[in-house]
Amino acid sequence: MGINYFTAFGFAFIATAAFGILFQAPRKSLPVSGFIGAVGWVVYCYIRKDLAYDSFYAMFFATVALSLLSELAARVFKQPVTIFVIPGIIPIVPGLGMYRGMAAIIENNYDTGMNILITTGMDASAIALGMMLMTSVFRVIKISKDHERLLQLLHKENKE
Amino acid sequence: MELEAVPLSREQTLHIALGMGKALLKNGAETSRVEDTISRFCHTHGYHDIHVFVTPTVIILGDEESEGATIISRIRYRSTNLSVISAVNDFSYNLKRWPLNYEETLSYLEELRHKAPPYGKWRVCMASAISSAAFSAMLGGNSHDFIAAFITGGLSMVLLKQMGGYRPSAFWENALSGAAIGALAIFCCEMDGECTRTNIIVGALMPFLPGVAFTNGLRDYMAGDLISGNSRIAEAMLFATSIAIGLAFSLLVWYHWGWKLWA
Repeated sequence: MGINYFTAFGFAFIATAAFGILFQAPRKSLPVSGFIGAVGWVVYCYIRKDLAYDSFYAMFFATVALSLLSELAARVFKQPVTIFVIPGIIPIVPGLGMYRGMAAIIENNYDTGMNILITTGMDASAIALGMMLMTSVFRVIKISKDHERLLQLLHKENKE
Repeated sequence: MELEAVPLSREQTLHIALGMGKALLKNGAETSRVEDTISRFCHTHGYHDIHVFVTPTVIILGDEESEGATIISRIRYRSTNLSVISAVNDFSYNLKRWPLNYEETLSYLEELRHKAPPYGKWRVCMASAISSAAFSAMLGGNSHDFIAAFITGGLSMVLLKQMGGYRPSAFWENALSGAAIGALAIFCCEMDGECTRTNIIVGALMPFLPGVAFTNGLRDYMAGDLISGNSRIAEAMLFATSIAIGLAFSLLVWYHWGWKLWA
């Protein structure tokens, strides 16, 4: 079975960059967020379709990859992380699931609807978990760096 | 004259902090980012007892004293404009080298809130068309679906933007665009036998779906902002429902009457 990863990457890149325009992102960040979103989508496709894991794990690892790249990009380009993360999660964000669940509920298929909605909730919490994980990791690194600098300063003052 | 040269009074700090918070929240920043930016600003100016409470619809700033000042701002219309978030972020990181004084900073923030977004209406519609087409290809459509989703996504965004001038409630706005997507998808399928209706609808819906709002709501929960988590998730559910209602309406009309609507 083969997904063509090149076309998947290309379409996800275009979709994410277009969403950057919809969200009025600064022009310079569009290709970067397109790349980030495409990487997230390719990781998701690989884990979900090739390895056939649950969508929870696929979402989680795709989000980890994507927010790692976004945090790095935020440091490189001196922009807030939001600018890269919000367009970047668009390809994997479970908006379609919410629509499908609500459509099923409107058609009186309560079982299917609740099923889809709960799956959607789990997927969204996987994304939120992945993002929180990367944010906390980067915060811990930053705090420990500040701590080291503080210790060095104290050390110097003591010597003097 | 610099912002750092003369120490700001408590009221001035509160006003600048509120301006920053308004600019951030109106343009789609997360709750925790708004709270973080405001309290960092207050700390740098030496006011450590100022508390801030932000939900998606209100910002409250105040301190712990009984005769202290409290200011509040109600946010009614929110959209996503990431370049304003970027500008406010620049401001809050360059506070040490900020060239404007108090009045100039206030008017800068005011101007930032009223500035036109970097991409105009037609570019946004074009972007919506392109992303719809790309999504329908990503989710398994063929080349016919690609073109149909391009037309459908673009035209429904044009409709939404033209409706925006009348300031309808968000529910009816989304329901109307859902109905437009349904009607256009049905039309494309009737014109071209190789289109699949689900693929077109799935692609064209993407720009309207509140997936990011839902995920941000869950992030708010995990960060401990329970009230804004609740309200964001409720908003996302409301929008999903309204889009589903609009789409169901046009599909239902088609199933019942079909081409007889014309006859």
